[in-house]
Amino acid sequence: MTAVAAAPIARTEARSRVDEIWRIVRLHAINPSIFFGVPWLILGGAWAVSMVIAVIVGSANASPEDLEGMRYSWAVLSPQWYLVVVGVQAIGLTFSFALGFGATRRDFWLGTSLMFVLVSVEMAAAIATLVQVEIATNGWGIGVHMFDALWYGQNWLVDFYTTFALQLLVLFIGASITTVYMRWRMPGMMILLFGGIVLVLAAVAALTFTQSWPAVFDWFAAIGLVGVFTVLLVKAFVWAVAWYFVIRRATPR
Amino acid sequence: MTRTVVRGSGLTKRYGSFTAVDAVDLTLQENRIYGLLGRNGAGKTTIMQLLTGQLFPNAGELEVFGREPAEHADVLRRICFIGEAQRYPENFTPTHVFKAAPWFFEHWDAGLAERLVADFRLPVKRRIKKLSRGQLSAVGVIVGLASRAPITFFDEPYLGLDAVARHIFYDRLLEDYAEHPRTVVLSTHLIDEIANLLEHIILIDQGRILLDRDADEVRGSATTVAGARAAVESFVADRPVIGREGLGGLASVTIDGRLGRADRIRAAELGLELAPVSLQQLIVHMTGTELDADTTEEEAAA
Repeated sequence: MTAVAAAPIARTEARSRVDEIWRIVRLHAINPSIFFGVPWLILGGAWAVSMVIAVIVGSANASPEDLEGMRYSWAVLSPQWYLVVVGVQAIGLTFSFALGFGATRRDFWLGTSLMFVLVSVEMAAAIATLVQVEIATNGWGIGVHMFDALWYGQNWLVDFYTTFALQLLVLFIGASITTVYMRWRMPGMMILLFGGIVLVLAAVAALTFTQSWPAVFDWFAAIGLVGVFTVLLVKAFVWAVAWYFVIRRATPR
Repeated sequence: MTRTVVRGSGLTKRYGSFTAVDAVDLTLQENRIYGLLGRNGAGKTTIMQLLTGQLFPNAGELEVFGREPAEHADVLRRICFIGEAQRYPENFTPTHVFKAAPWFFEHWDAGLAERLVADFRLPVKRRIKKLSRGQLSAVGVIVGLASRAPITFFDEPYLGLDAVARHIFYDRLLEDYAEHPRTVVLSTHLIDEIANLLEHIILIDQGRILLDRDADEVRGSATTVAGARAAVESFVADRPVIGREGLGGLASVTIDGRLGRADRIRAAELGLELAPVSLQQLIVHMTGTELDADTTEEEAAA
């Protein structure tokens, strides 16, 4: 073997770091229906079902008070669960593809995180606005409570903030858990699952034995709705960071 | 001066107790066409995944363009590797692949990609999942050719391609390589079809390199000696034997190493027939099960 010095890398980078991250976002969005189309179909479908139910209930001479029961419907959250599945697929398939095209894991993480933030902002802004529309039109004219349900309806900003935090959290959890599978396969998933169960049981046990449950509820009451969702946002951040450490050594399938 | 673009030493990749790549040393020079040959499961794809930073070696050192490939964007953007089992995002079509390619490969030639799509008659609007094996191979071949990456890997590019498509690949690769020289690594177990294309052969078996030599040297390096058993045995007595077949009083023995003029005259006197060994036959001899282990070691050390 000839001992020729390895070719030093010629740094001809015309591309900026921003481009390298943005191309991952574009890769996720190349088929826009997945992140931006289907959630609207789901939301639209849930809305149509809510409307039909309201019409049926209304024709049975129900009072507006009866329709108040719709406030406990989870329809407004339906796109969130779909987007978790999307987050899982984004990792499982797009990660392999991006590595094949020469992206680094770090850039994939940054670009995908940015994509998650963009999607969460879009969904949160849309839902918060639809809550206001629903209130303004007095439930689409027939007293429906689809968006103005659960904790929604305080004001636009609170609705936006809470939706954003929850959406971001579920996306990062989905992505992190999928990456655990990519890196450690089934044994990793088992350890994660049972480890998670043990942690939850330990926390429940600790709180029960020390009789701290009232203190916990007091604390939640004290921080209020926005506070609770801030806790979720912090958790989303923690999952995102944990995800980074898992993806750094993950290998495609 | 040719530059070394890849240098690996002691590269090892284990999966549990299975060693897929076992202390491999290799170097790749700039602007050459390499054949990474070996049987199924020999470790070809694993080596390519190591060189492209998709897998992390358990041991050994690796430099691509002077540094470790994994997680170095400036190295990775000079590499194109579409694996034979490459996974694509949900609902992806070839159109999506070719649309995204220029974001990742700075030398991407969209015109060339378009011509190749027409040549291969690739249905670009069909979902990747619905493509036939040959069409899937065509996607990888088109990305590999049109990306013009300084190091391009083709992982089993012939899988499922029909005779016409194989010919197109062969022609286009040579054409484009002449105009835009780069380092090409072709992995395949269909050896004869590309034998003439290769400039350098790296033969691996069970995760080890059996042969790492210039293709021209390899092509003339082995000879089959056939004739009466006694005469054959006396002729090959002190030569490295890599294959042996016999039928009754006749024997046919494949030996490694070039034969000189004196050897040929002696063979003629003994009434022996000498036949050149094709690359494919040579590799069958070297990786076949009848191979004796000592020869393997010698070859690896050579």
